[in-house]
Amino acid sequence: MDEIKKEIMKLEKSAEKLKKLAKDNNAIRKNAEIILTFLYILKFITPTVNKEA
Amino acid sequence: MEFWNPYTETLPREKLENIEFSYFKNLLSYAKANSQLYKDKLKGINIKDIKAFADIKKIPFTYKEELRKWQEDVEPFPYGGLLGIDIANVSSFRQTSGTTGKPVYVPESYESWQWRIESWCHILYMAGFRPRHRVFLPFGYNVYVAFWEAHYAAEKLGCEVVPGGALDTKGRVNKIIELKANAMCGTPTYLLNIAQEAVSMGIDPKSLGIERALGAGEPLPEATRKRIEATYNCKMFDHIGSTETCGFAGMCEAQQGLHIVEPFFLVELLDKDTLSKEVAEGELGVIVITPLGRRSFPVIRFNTNDVAIKGPSTCECGRTSLKLMEIVGRVDDISKIRGVLFSPKTVEQLIRSEFPEIVEYELVVTREDIMDKITLRMEADAKLGKDKAAEIAKRLGERHKIKTNLSCKVVVEPSGALPRYDLKAKRFKDMRGKH
Repeated sequence: MDEIKKEIMKLEKSAEKLKKLAKDNNAIRKNAEIILTFLYILKFITPTVNKEA
Repeated sequence: MEFWNPYTETLPREKLENIEFSYFKNLLSYAKANSQLYKDKLKGINIKDIKAFADIKKIPFTYKEELRKWQEDVEPFPYGGLLGIDIANVSSFRQTSGTTGKPVYVPESYESWQWRIESWCHILYMAGFRPRHRVFLPFGYNVYVAFWEAHYAAEKLGCEVVPGGALDTKGRVNKIIELKANAMCGTPTYLLNIAQEAVSMGIDPKSLGIERALGAGEPLPEATRKRIEATYNCKMFDHIGSTETCGFAGMCEAQQGLHIVEPFFLVELLDKDTLSKEVAEGELGVIVITPLGRRSFPVIRFNTNDVAIKGPSTCECGRTSLKLMEIVGRVDDISKIRGVLFSPKTVEQLIRSEFPEIVEYELVVTREDIMDKITLRMEADAKLGKDKAAEIAKRLGERHKIKTNLSCKVVVEPSGALPRYDLKAKRFKDMRGKH
């Protein structure tokens, strides 16, 4: 699971960068935002189990 | 046994609760900062004081009436103080059915909608829906949420979805045959209506090839579930949810209770009288629910008014989520008739398990002078004669008395006299006014 979580974080950074780079291109920016939506879900379904909440 | 998300679905309870508590605190902070309702509701509460799972009880309940109030004359239209995001980010409108009063308008962002769909994927996957299934949804979905959720979640699972709106029941039977659909989602009532229509067309419902079906929109007593299974020769599953909370629990292949979709939802089952303590396994509790990741419409400790029996967190399927063993009904549905507690679900169970000849029924409670009267209107299978229908009515009256401790007048109606329902059936009509 740790490796999966690392990959999700990498994807998030990359999608954020893509969104910034495409600030003048609606189509690319929107698709980057959609990737970020699914990254929100991916993070939600791979929660980190802390000892203390 | 297969899981949709083996990681979260098999986590030990302690870890699940830890995660849910962490999500709950995040949601509290988010809602306090972004929702007018919770800015107001949580103003005397310091979130730092919520230190342990037990502290969740310090947060007040949210009631449906409050949701309505915060939408009346509060900007931005039409969501008012319930909105948790910039209105520019709302991507779809849904609303509650308005069964208990003015409908609540529910905003979904693309993110919140996808979160809902992900939760629903668990429900469909638990019910055995797989890419091999061609899923027929026999409704025009309109502004109501359940079948949109079913549609998108089935798509996400890899099923092929056939939207069955804008057809009458006969047209839907023909579409199922034409496309060889092998799975369905529908209200239990309507799944039985489709079967009845097939019979009237000279088609055995078993020959339709439906392998599995998921109930939505209405309670599904065990007797009705088994009747649908026998009628179609399929496996029938249940789930529970609402527009405000999303679908939050579903039935697995073991068909023993409904698994809460954790950690998407924090579900509390609280003692009906005090609403202060969690009930023990096997006891009856009011369902209080918090969807933990939906930001467009934050709802915290929503008192659903639904009553369920708490089940164990163990199951032969291997999931570790808590289970609701039986949804008993709404607190409002359980009423007193002539001083006796009465639940319409008891009559539904009785008819579906013992009277397969009854194709439709309606319960009407009236008050004459000071006496409450129950009239049970029934329609028998059209093929049966008058004498046989009268015999069934007599037996039904006797069984009703034994099951409910209340006598009733049974009236045999001609075929087609009683209303048929696609969505939520309204078979219980209490005409006594306030009592």
